[in-house]
Amino acid sequence: MNLVEQLSRAPAAAIEFANILLTQDDAKVGATPKDVVWTHRKTTLYRYRSDRRRHPVPVLLVFALINRPDIFDLRPGNSFVEFLLDQGFDVFLIDWGYPEEEDADFGLEEYICDELQWGIREVLRTSGEDQLTLLGWCIGGTLCLLYGGWLQDNPVRNMVLLTTPVDTTSSLYSTWVRRDSFDVEYVAAGYKAIPGQAIDWANKLMKPVTNYWTTYRRLWEGVLAGEPRRDAFQAMAHWVADNPPFPAAAYRDWITWMYKENRLVQGRLRLRRRRVDLGRIDQSLLIVTAGADHIAPPRGTRPLLDLVCSDDVTWIDRPGGHIGLMAGSKARSEIWPEIAQWLQERSQATREGRGSGNHRTE
Amino acid sequence: MQQGEEMADERRSSPTEDVRRLYEEAENRTALAFEDLVSRGSFGELLARTTENVVALTKIATDVFDLTLRNLRLAGRQDVTRLARQLARTEDKLELVLQEVERLADELEAEGRSGAGRPSRRGSADGLTGGAAPARSARGAR
Repeated sequence: MNLVEQLSRAPAAAIEFANILLTQDDAKVGATPKDVVWTHRKTTLYRYRSDRRRHPVPVLLVFALINRPDIFDLRPGNSFVEFLLDQGFDVFLIDWGYPEEEDADFGLEEYICDELQWGIREVLRTSGEDQLTLLGWCIGGTLCLLYGGWLQDNPVRNMVLLTTPVDTTSSLYSTWVRRDSFDVEYVAAGYKAIPGQAIDWANKLMKPVTNYWTTYRRLWEGVLAGEPRRDAFQAMAHWVADNPPFPAAAYRDWITWMYKENRLVQGRLRLRRRRVDLGRIDQSLLIVTAGADHIAPPRGTRPLLDLVCSDDVTWIDRPGGHIGLMAGSKARSEIWPEIAQWLQERSQATREGRGSGNHRTE
Repeated sequence: MQQGEEMADERRSSPTEDVRRLYEEAENRTALAFEDLVSRGSFGELLARTTENVVALTKIATDVFDLTLRNLRLAGRQDVTRLARQLARTEDKLELVLQEVERLADELEAEGRSGAGRPSRRGSADGLTGGAAPARSARGAR
């Protein structure tokens, strides 16, 4: 397209561009039909409707405390939930909801020892099974790890961890919050629930030009070329802008334990006076990292391989970003089938014992 | 010969493409420069201080608003939060009671089955068949 053509298309493209941005909040995300199984305070456990369940071991999806779990079910045709249902899995989702000031005392202990544990209990009761697969993404993955390291005799058969922060030594967040001048106690006391927009702003600040400029520049180019990819952009933009508050206690715990003191890998993290020992994790473990992940870089997840005692550990490292790896346009044909294949092999009715795969793959 | 072809290729690229390429190079360099900037300790220090100032300002503004509402004898955010917290505590207790009731119901059911000499079986037929029918009643519906 030459310059004259571009100029002649610009007014119509500008209107289209503005329309895409102005109506992004109307994009429908998380549309796959589901039923409420259990609720407690702001937490809701859902079970996705399906008549194709073939694998007995249910899968519980656990997302981060920031942003919404709708990323698992972004839009029809590009939904990980939809894909898992097609593959015959019984899929549950734990949704942390929108915490408010009254949840200021809700710390990681409450999320792991109460909400997650009770959610798992309800998954088993509802499915009628004795074991399940935990699939955690981002902080959700760390919550799964903490649960596995905290409660030894747990019903988790498989654990899938997607772009999960474990060792935060070299993380950019650590550069920001590890210093004494960042008083996390003061922040947690000032805000009973840390505004989601503030967390989002900090996340975007890690790659300011990419997040605040390049994204929109690419959209503009797409619109100008007559290929706007409206649905994909709006669904992702809607999800990115939907930021639930972070309860003050959970925020304080997360920043202090994971970033200021890096307790998890040092084995110094305790939940309800019981030490979280990653060495207790003997479940089949699938660790997925993204090469270009700036939030949970692979070098921060890799130490986990030496900390768990499972004999069946698979590590997949693929090109992609923290979210793009699982929610990008290529995910459906690249990473999802790999995850589904791994799960299928470990979701059979009779359990042959943990670590039946008896191999470590890297 | 090869050099000549490369030169011909260069000649073929239009001014618009050249501008675009130069722009993208500049944008990439700017992005890297900003990423380098935000990864410095000095930026972390600036961020820490700014965060503290924003928190302090928000706290002052919230306190002033809340005090004004209280003096007008209207319910403020703190009052609503206090009520919500009481409700949350009640819900916590109710959840524990429900779990205990479910545990007892499970025990009774198991005893009943073993008394009748039937094999023990949890939940729905096999947890695999059929739509959304849960093995147990959905707690959210209570």
